[in-house]
Amino acid sequence: MDINSTLIAVFLFPGLLFLCAYATTLEFVDRHVYARLQNRQGPPWYQPIADFLKLMGKEVIIPAGADKTMYKLLPLVSFAAVATAFLCVPVFGPAVKAFNGDLIVVLYLLTIPTACFYLAGWYSTSIYATIGSVRALTQLFSYEVPLFMALLAPAMLAGSWSITEISAYYTANPLYVLFNLPALVVALLAVQGKLERVPFDLPEAETELAGGTFVEYSGRYYAMFRMTVDCELVVLSALIAAIFVPLSFDIWWMEVLCFFISTLLIVFVLTFIRATMPRVRIDQMVRFCWIYLTPLAMAQIILNLFLRGVVG
Amino acid sequence: MAEKITIPIGPQHPSLKEPACFTITMEGEKVVNAVVGLGYNHRGLEKACESRTYIQDLYIIERVCGICSHAHSTAFCQSLEYLAGVEIPQRAAFIRTLVAELERLHSHLLWLGVGAHEIGFDTLFMYTWRDREKVLDLLATLCGNRVNYGINTPGGCRRDLNDEEIAMIRKAMNELEEQVKYYTELALNDTILAARLSGIGKLSHDDALRLGAVGPVSRASGVPDDVRAIDPYAAYGIVPFKVITDDHCDVFGRAVVRVLEMQESIKMIRFCLDNLPSGEIAAKFPRRIPAGEVFTRVEAPRGEDTHYVRSNGTDKPDRVRVRAATEANWHAVRHMIEGDMLADVPIIIAAIDPCYSCTDRSFVVKDPLTGKDKQMDWGALRQYGIDWYRKERGVDPSRIPLPGKRFY
Amino acid sequence: MTENKIDMAAMVVDDPVVEEVKVDISREETIVARVTERFPYLLGTLTIQRPGRIISNPLQREHFEEVLAYLISEQSFYTFHLVIGVDDGDDLGFIYAISNQDKIVFLLKERAPKADPRIRSLCDIFPNALWHERELVDLFGAVLEGLPPGPTYPLPDNWPAGNYPMRKEWNPAYFDNKTMTYNPPAPKNTEGGAE
Repeated sequence: MDINSTLIAVFLFPGLLFLCAYATTLEFVDRHVYARLQNRQGPPWYQPIADFLKLMGKEVIIPAGADKTMYKLLPLVSFAAVATAFLCVPVFGPAVKAFNGDLIVVLYLLTIPTACFYLAGWYSTSIYATIGSVRALTQLFSYEVPLFMALLAPAMLAGSWSITEISAYYTANPLYVLFNLPALVVALLAVQGKLERVPFDLPEAETELAGGTFVEYSGRYYAMFRMTVDCELVVLSALIAAIFVPLSFDIWWMEVLCFFISTLLIVFVLTFIRATMPRVRIDQMVRFCWIYLTPLAMAQIILNLFLRGVVG
Repeated sequence: MAEKITIPIGPQHPSLKEPACFTITMEGEKVVNAVVGLGYNHRGLEKACESRTYIQDLYIIERVCGICSHAHSTAFCQSLEYLAGVEIPQRAAFIRTLVAELERLHSHLLWLGVGAHEIGFDTLFMYTWRDREKVLDLLATLCGNRVNYGINTPGGCRRDLNDEEIAMIRKAMNELEEQVKYYTELALNDTILAARLSGIGKLSHDDALRLGAVGPVSRASGVPDDVRAIDPYAAYGIVPFKVITDDHCDVFGRAVVRVLEMQESIKMIRFCLDNLPSGEIAAKFPRRIPAGEVFTRVEAPRGEDTHYVRSNGTDKPDRVRVRAATEANWHAVRHMIEGDMLADVPIIIAAIDPCYSCTDRSFVVKDPLTGKDKQMDWGALRQYGIDWYRKERGVDPSRIPLPGKRFY
Repeated sequence: MTENKIDMAAMVVDDPVVEEVKVDISREETIVARVTERFPYLLGTLTIQRPGRIISNPLQREHFEEVLAYLISEQSFYTFHLVIGVDDGDDLGFIYAISNQDKIVFLLKERAPKADPRIRSLCDIFPNALWHERELVDLFGAVLEGLPPGPTYPLPDNWPAGNYPMRKEWNPAYFDNKTMTYNPPAPKNTEGGAE
């Protein structure tokens, strides 16, 4: 790959620009479907972009007690981590940067934003943000284990740590995906926790913590955090689509269509979960993750190891 | 995190719709102490009542609270009627009951939505508020206003019902009945909702009595305390209804009591329409009221409102004391919060259906420019806002279009 | 008790259904009889206004406290509704609304001179009296012995001391809410100038 096409792939397509564009689209879809499920009209298509631009233009107020460097750095770090993770996820065919073990790298890169949210809350020294950040960390320990196990289980069956190879394996053996259905359920629920959405939006919990971790953030730094969360949604839905949807086409537009349909479906399911559930308490969240999700994911791993032995 | 953290909830906080301050001390997520701070909404209403005539006071009393304005004006009118020895016509009693039950319906729907919002269940919030609009539309048709209905007057009612309006109410009640049944189903059977609401904000039967809880809060603790049954007023002695109680003693129980009360209200509204007596809607009422004192209780949607009126033979009251339901429930709130998780605090506070302006009561509207009492209509208020922004902020908002048609 | 009958006749609603219900005040009469038996000085001062309402005349502090203690311990008036402060000219009046299981509301009145409005706080007996009593402190200037310390309610923290807005002589027209000062004109114009 020459330098020009690499730059294009990293910054324009399917890199940064496409990521941001698709992130705003998915946010619009999420908000619009959410609104329609609630019997509301919902925002117009440009609303997420308008929100982003408006936030970019707003004044930044940094609390006096906050660490200024960390306050400014954390949104950038979290956004960079997500954008990097996106390069390893297959979009319309192979990923920009595919190598053996990229699944692990993506999962670890996706943990960085949560750590940043925690630090952001901690460094902004607001009492609400502190409690929110502690919750973010508590939550991280609860959903991360089932999420990792749910995404690694299909990889074990496929016998590869490369997302592109896993995708290729399931395209060759589409019926094997049916074995992974419990892992898909676990992954979808854990992703709700990762993205801090209802029923697991405890770190933000508007009615309790007035916005939680981000309560002191404003202006372009807050916009950056918002964009990070949206991009995380893209990366996670693309990742789940790559691992759990066993479809791959030679015709490019079929490939594109397949990507959009599968990611949109995943977002729709996530929105549906968000719209039909109340927020749970932190103890209920931890209990749910450890009592239901983790054993389920564990069972999936054992099943997949067993299948791996059977099918070779 | 064994250290104690003190976190203020309020005076400005997303979970509070009106100012109040709860200073909460926590160990981890567990609340160990709660201090309630009130008084941000004190408007001096009781003092204002003493210098105005009874008819003027009625308008003040009606504005004690936006949601249970009918309950307050009913209590005040009943006090005056008792002091003056005036009996209201049967038709007026029925119309009062009808509007009171419509108000209960809209208040409980509002509560269900607010409660759902507090626990992050915005879908239920949107649904209940959509249905609440139907009730508000009915109230607007009957009384001419969505809140602060102004239907009560000493001696009876100010507006009559016609057949068209009765048909409209019946139709809306049929639609609402379906929805309320659905919410009942949801409240009773949804597992996540039940997991979220049950066991929090415990208030035992004895504590409810000791702390003087009223309304749905005490009824959810198994205290059959409903003024409509204890001390019947308006047409409540005639309209049959069941006092809903529940023995869950927690927020879940309060939700159950409220949804079941909505079903009762719909039945009562139907009964009122079926048995509406004919005749006058208002009796003649004197301007001056002989000296005396009266203590009136009325069951507002949020619980018992009590009014004390003392007259001195003139056309102005000597003393008016209003106690709204929320004021009686504060002690219970503090008791309920302590020992629960921070995540439960908003819903526990919301579960008493708090109304701070009721609690703090009172007001005088003054023109900030001249210092005189002044009335402003919608247009004048808008113009005032435009002028203020032009002068103080240098922007001209007059070209912002007014909201057009509502979306349904 | 002729006075009671007149009062009740006034409250009976002109309605066939209600008229069939016999107005029964036997429970109220029993309570009044017992209380007057125990405290002979109350004879003739208790009025049964209507079913569920017993009203007393204003009592001095020592009488009030013993009657209240009797009502709570012997007649099980466990529920405290509210306390209403009133301005009776030279005295401040305090009307306590308490009720029993039969939901009979007893309006027990207490009176204290305005110059020294000292009464006992009921917070230890009825925890829900707290806010009502704070209100008496702020709005009437009553001194409540035994009231737990706490914030002012409902008046703001910067309210000038010695201003009790619910007293009759206090006129809101003379209050400047910008400077938070009360500037009454020369004494000849105000009724409360005697103080």
